[in-house]
Amino acid sequence: MTSKRIVVCTQGGDEAAASDAAEEAFTLGRRVADASEARLCWLVVGPLAEGATDRAGRFGVDDIDQIEDPRLDGFSPDAWVEALAGYCQQESPALLIFGQTPETRLVAPRLAGRLGAGVVMNTVDVAVTDGGDFEATASAYGGDTRVVYQLSGAPSYVVALSASAVSPEPAAGGPTSPQSRAVSAGLSGTDERIRVIEEAKAEGPRLEEADIIVSGGRGLGSPENYKLVEQLAEALGGLAGASRPLVDEGWVDSSQQVGLTGKITRPVLYLAAGISGASQHMAGCSAAKTIVAINNDPDAAIFRYCRYGVVGDCLDILPELIRAVRS
Amino acid sequence: MRIVVCVKEVLDPDAVNNYALAGHLEIGEDGKSLTQAAIPRLMNGFDEQALEAALRLRDAGAECRIGVVSVGSDPAAILKHAAALGADEIAAVAQEEAFPDYHVVAALLAGYVRSSGGADLVLCGRQASDDDQGVVPALICESLGMPLVTNACSVERVDAGFRITRVTPDGDEGVEVSGPVVVTVSNELGEPRYPTAAKKIAARRMKPEIITPQSLSLPDAELQARVVAQRQFVPTVQGSCEFLQGETPGELSEALVARLRQDGVIQ
Repeated sequence: MTSKRIVVCTQGGDEAAASDAAEEAFTLGRRVADASEARLCWLVVGPLAEGATDRAGRFGVDDIDQIEDPRLDGFSPDAWVEALAGYCQQESPALLIFGQTPETRLVAPRLAGRLGAGVVMNTVDVAVTDGGDFEATASAYGGDTRVVYQLSGAPSYVVALSASAVSPEPAAGGPTSPQSRAVSAGLSGTDERIRVIEEAKAEGPRLEEADIIVSGGRGLGSPENYKLVEQLAEALGGLAGASRPLVDEGWVDSSQQVGLTGKITRPVLYLAAGISGASQHMAGCSAAKTIVAINNDPDAAIFRYCRYGVVGDCLDILPELIRAVRS
Repeated sequence: MRIVVCVKEVLDPDAVNNYALAGHLEIGEDGKSLTQAAIPRLMNGFDEQALEAALRLRDAGAECRIGVVSVGSDPAAILKHAAALGADEIAAVAQEEAFPDYHVVAALLAGYVRSSGGADLVLCGRQASDDDQGVVPALICESLGMPLVTNACSVERVDAGFRITRVTPDGDEGVEVSGPVVVTVSNELGEPRYPTAAKKIAARRMKPEIITPQSLSLPDAELQARVVAQRQFVPTVQGSCEFLQGETPGELSEALVARLRQDGVIQ
């Protein structure tokens, strides 16, 4: 157990093994492990789903460690930090990779603080320098820039990988046959210090899981016009989203906000009406397979991300588009 | 109770974004700094909302002393803004590095909280609009041994603890904590207030207490950088947009729907 270890950590369960986020993290982890002559380990918190071992093998995972404890079910940050810190002290991974979610945004830096490790969020890539240090590239200014950080001086590092920053690719060296082993959570008996007294109730379907999203922005002009966005979304069998200005103005609920500080979505089709394409917004939709924009400014930044563009006033186009979809 | 609000000076993110949208964002010779000298510097918007959360606690009747602290070479302007808004104490931890390692920043902020009498509540913005990292509050909470609640849109005092509403992907969640806590505040808290002219004038005379890192007697290991910004660049986006043609909104719409159906994106 003396070889260097790169660890990808995900929450277990049925979906985890199939999630894009896990495959993206495996792909990055395999690349970093190859460049630093390390073993790639997958740390699963929770049950190992059916078929997960084969999938991990395709992506070149060498070992699977699994922690199961009822106290880690759901989201219990104090227990998570304690269990993961215990694991890291035992296994001394050089690098621990999470997929970035609202939960890991909380757990990853706390874990780093607990361990005296270094941490980088919003990571889009990790390279290994000639000197053997890690170099993490992360987005900044809402995606307008990237910053390259040199990671040296701490015994270990924790990074959270932004959604869709890495394209999943099975291991170049062919599949592996990882063995899984159970690891004790080693939790003390202390209770969570934060008590949930009112659960969040997701009402209806979630933007994060939608195949089709129609979003509106400032170009709609006034709150009443947002109904055009809702009508088009309904006609397409999708959901309606919005850019942050509409949320800040109180036109729509914050649960509909797509962007860096809102929902990070991965639909098949993302149709943006009257949205300029600020990086802050694109961070929440650039993983879409097809992006379409309607904007009256042919030079709007959003067209740089688009497969198809329509130059025109979205108030003229949207009613016609609704009609065309319904016909 | 004592509330400490941690604030950071940033380049106006809207101005940065306007340069970016126009394709004019440039990096200077040091490979790290944005060159646009015209971009104003101001208090990070989320931090301003963290201060607003503290002021609302006071408005709601909580007896509190509000301290505002910033790490930087010259945060006097944003600290005076904080004083004009209602901060009782303002403090600057001197740090000359233009791109300080945020682990060091967190150690300095936690050291300030400890050395200045502790806190019942530490409030921070959910992230800074320049580096977007959002890790300093979590590092502070671990250093102080406090729990962390992220993305709050409301904070209320309940007995010796707090009731906090936090924004989650599944909607608002209500949580309670019975002792000191670090809370990050999200934009859903709502518009921060503006200082009155009289308070602005009074605040001009207020000088921040200058704290040197040495005076916080932190272990060397905590002041050693471990994540160092090497360079910054503007990413290029591969544009391959096909603009649909048509004389009227109807024609444009028909063309788009035909394309999407052809590609199998919609039915």
